Amino acid sequence: MPLETVIEIENLRFRWSQGNGFCLDIPAFEVRAGERIFLYGPSGSGKSTLLGLLGGVLVPELGRIRLLGSELTRLKPSARDRFRADHVGFVFQQFNLIPYLSVVDNVLLSCRFSARRRERAMAAGGSLHDEAARLLAHLDLEVALYRQGVTSLSVGQQQRVAAARALIGRPEIVIADEPTSALDAERQEAFLALLAGECLAAGSTLLFVSHDRRLAAGFDRELSLASISPACGEGKAA
Amino acid sequence: MRILAFFSRPIAAVAALALFAVWPLSLVGSACAADARSDYRVGDRLSPSKSVTSPEAVYKETPWDALVPKDWDPQQAFKGLDLRTLKDSDPRAMEALQRLRESWDNAPVEQSLRGQRIRIAGFMVPLEKKGDEVSEFLLVPYFGACIHVPPPPANQIIHVILAKPLKGLQSMDAVWVSGALAIARSDSPWGASGYRMQGELVTPYSKR
Amino acid sequence: MTPLTPLLLLAVRSAWNRRLTLGMTLLAVALSVTLLLGVERVRHEARNSFAQSVAGTDLVVGARSSPVQLMLYAVFRIGEATHNIHWQSYRAIAENPAVAWSIPLSLGDSHHGFPVIGTSSAYFEHFRYGDAQALAFSAGKPFAEIFDAVLGAEVAARLGYRPGDQLVLSHGMGDVSLAEHTDKPFTVVGILAATGTPVDRSVHVSLEAIQAIHLDWQGGAPLPGLSIPAEYVRKFDLTPKEITAVLVGLKSRAAVFKVQRDLNTRSAEPLLAVLPGVALDQLWQVVGIAERTLLAVSAMVVAVGLAGLVAVVLAGLSERRRELAILRSVGARPSEIFVLLTAEGLFVTVLGALLGVALLALLTALLGPLVQAHYGLAIRARWISSDELALLGAVIAVGLVASLLPGYRAYRISLADGLTPRL
Repeated sequence: MPLETVIEIENLRFRWSQGNGFCLDIPAFEVRAGERIFLYGPSGSGKSTLLGLLGGVLVPELGRIRLLGSELTRLKPSARDRFRADHVGFVFQQFNLIPYLSVVDNVLLSCRFSARRRERAMAAGGSLHDEAARLLAHLDLEVALYRQGVTSLSVGQQQRVAAARALIGRPEIVIADEPTSALDAERQEAFLALLAGECLAAGSTLLFVSHDRRLAAGFDRELSLASISPACGEGKAA
Repeated sequence: MRILAFFSRPIAAVAALALFAVWPLSLVGSACAADARSDYRVGDRLSPSKSVTSPEAVYKETPWDALVPKDWDPQQAFKGLDLRTLKDSDPRAMEALQRLRESWDNAPVEQSLRGQRIRIAGFMVPLEKKGDEVSEFLLVPYFGACIHVPPPPANQIIHVILAKPLKGLQSMDAVWVSGALAIARSDSPWGASGYRMQGELVTPYSKR
Repeated sequence: MTPLTPLLLLAVRSAWNRRLTLGMTLLAVALSVTLLLGVERVRHEARNSFAQSVAGTDLVVGARSSPVQLMLYAVFRIGEATHNIHWQSYRAIAENPAVAWSIPLSLGDSHHGFPVIGTSSAYFEHFRYGDAQALAFSAGKPFAEIFDAVLGAEVAARLGYRPGDQLVLSHGMGDVSLAEHTDKPFTVVGILAATGTPVDRSVHVSLEAIQAIHLDWQGGAPLPGLSIPAEYVRKFDLTPKEITAVLVGLKSRAAVFKVQRDLNTRSAEPLLAVLPGVALDQLWQVVGIAERTLLAVSAMVVAVGLAGLVAVVLAGLSERRRELAILRSVGARPSEIFVLLTAEGLFVTVLGALLGVALLALLTALLGPLVQAHYGLAIRARWISSDELALLGAVIAVGLVASLLPGYRAYRISLADGLTPRL
C-alpha cells in the first residue's frame, strides 16, 4: 500500500520583495509518511525561508504547499498557526527553550497550544506529566532535572529537551533545523540516533536540515536544497 | 491591529505618552463642571421648565408665586406712601422699609398647599452637611439670597430635609426639588410659620 | 483560540523571570498610586473632618472678619480672632426671641499648644457634632467651680491627665509661652469622650475663669506688683466683658436669613453672622483649586511611572526575539504574542496598584495619629472608598492602554521574524 504524502510542494515561488529575484523556486518536492529526509543546505541558501513556508508563517507568491493533504496556502493565518501547532514539531539550532519555564513546562509547551497534541499525549502516557517524563527518559535525561530551570542545562541537554517538545503528542511531521550544530562532535551522532529512534517509534516523518553532510548516513533520502530549488543558490534570504 | 499601526511611528508614540500626562486634567475638568454656578448673577430667578407636566405626574410643578397667599401684598408697607413726595433720606421711607422687612419676615403661608407633592426649582443654601453630602438645606427663589441681597419673605423659603443625603451640592446651586410640602408651626412669639419639605428627589437645574 | 489562562500564566512567569528590572518600575507605579490615593484620601478626610466639627448650628457670630476666618477660629480652633465682641452683643443674641440656644466662646489662651475655650454650661448641653451627636463624658462632669477644667479626649490622652490633676494655662496660642497664669492653676473635673473633632484638642473652662486669670493682667502681661491670689477672685465681678464668638441655634431654621441680617446690620457693634454650611463651601472653593492641582500633579506622576514601565518592557523585547520565535514555532499566533506582552504590562500595573493601596494603608496607620495630634485632622484607616476605587480603575485602564504599545511591538516583531529571527 503506497504511503501517503505528508509534504507536497508544487511550483512554489517565493521572494522577499517585488524588486528581487525569487529566492525559492521549487517545481516539485514530496515527502512520504515515515520517511527520514536529510536536506543539505548551506547557510543563506534559503532553507530558513523553506522552513518558514512549511511552518506556515510565510506564504509563497506562487504555487502550493500541502501538508497532510491540507493546502496551507488556502488557510487563514490563524488556521495555519493552528495547523502547525497540531501537526508539526520544530527543533532549532540553539536557544530552543523558554528561559522562565522549567524543563517539563518547556516540553509541555506544545500541548498548551494544541488540544489535539494534548489529547494524544495524555492518551499515550496517562497524564501530560507522565508522557513528558517518558519522552525525557528515552532521551537520556535524568528525573532530577525535570523541575529545574533550563539555564542550568548543558547545550546537549537543552537540545534533547527541545526534541522532547517537538515529539510530545506525536505530531506527524518533525522538522529539525541544524539541531546538532551547537553540539560537540561526539554528541552529534548520539543525538541523531535518539531523534531518529523516537520519530520511528511515534511514526513521525523527519525532515532534517543541515549543512554537515557527514550526518547524512542513516537517512532514507539525502537531498540538497539546490537540487530542489534550482533557481536559487546565491542571494541571501533577505 | 491597523489602528495600532499608528503607534509604530515615533511621533505617534510621543503623542500617546503626552496623552497619559494630560488625562489628569480631565479630573480637574470634571471638578470644574461644578462651577456652572457662575452662570447666575445676583437676583436671577429660574425660569420654569419648558416641558409640560403631564396630569398624571406625581409631583406638580409649582412656581414660587403659588407659595404666596393671594390676599397677601408684599408691598403693603408702602401703602399710603407716595414716594414722589418724599425728600431724600426721609425717615418715613426708612420706617416703611423697616415695616416691609418685618412683614416679610412674618409673611403668611398658603395653607392649601399643606401636604401637596410639588416640584419646584430654586437655589439651595446648605444647613447640614455630612462630609461631602448635604442632608438639609433652604431653598430660595433667587441667586445670592443671604449673601448679597436682603433675604426673601418667609413664604418664599422652603426648609428641605433630604431622606438621603446628596453629594456634590454647593451653596447657591440651582436645583429641582420634589417632595411633599408641609407647613411647620414655629414657636416664636410672633407666630409665623414656614414651609418645610421632605425632599424625595433633587436634580440639577439646567438652563435649556 | 487558545484559552486565555495559559497565556496569562506565561505572562506572569515571564514577568517573574525579569523581576529585578520590573521590580523597580513596580515600585515606581506603587508609590505613584499611593501618592494619588493619598492626596484624594486626605482631601476627603479633611472635608469630612471639618464638616463633622459642627452640626445643628444655624449661625456662628463673631467680630467682623471673613466668614472663612470666623469658622476657622471659632469652630476649628485654627488661627486667631482679629478681635472680640462685647458681652452685651452676646446678651442681645441670647435674648433674641428667634434664638433657641446660644453658646458663648472665648479664645486666646492655650495649654501646651492646645487651645483653651472659655464657655458656659450651654456648651455641654447644646453643642452637637457629626451626626447630631451630643458631647459625652468619658470621666467626670462639666465645670461647676470657677477654676474647673474639662479636657478633650486628645488633650487628656497626650498629656496624661485624669480628673483631679492640676494644670496651668498659658497666655496666647504659641507652643512655648513665656506668660503663664501660674498663680491660678486649674483642676481637671471632666474628660470628654473622643469626638474626632477639634473638641478633642481643646481645654474647656468657664468664662468667669478666663476673666479671673486676666484680672491682674492688663495689656497682655501681668502688671508688676499687682497680684490677685486665686482665693480672692470671687470678690471681683467676673462677668466677662468680651467674648470671641457665639454659636447660635434657632427655633425655626428657615428664619436664619432674618436673624443673620439683623445681626449683620442692626447690632450695636460690627458683627459677622455666618451660616456654617455656606462658609464651609466658601472655604472649599478657595482650597479647591489647590486640591485639584495636587490631584492633577499626582495623576501625572502615575503617568510617569507607567511610562517607565512601558519603556522597560519595550527595551526588553529585543532580547526576547528568540523566545517569541519559539512560541510561534509551537503554534502561538501573533495575536497571542500581542496578548502575552500586553498582559505582562497589565500584570505589573495591577500589582503596582495593589501594592500602592497597601502602602497607603501602612502610611495611614503610621502617620494618622501624628496628623490627628498636630492638626486635629482625623485620617481614618478604612477600606477603600468608591471614589478611590474609580481612581484605581482609571490607573489600571491607563496601564492597559500603555501596555498595548509593547504588545503591538512584539506582534510586529513576531510577524516579521517568523520562526527564524535575525538575532
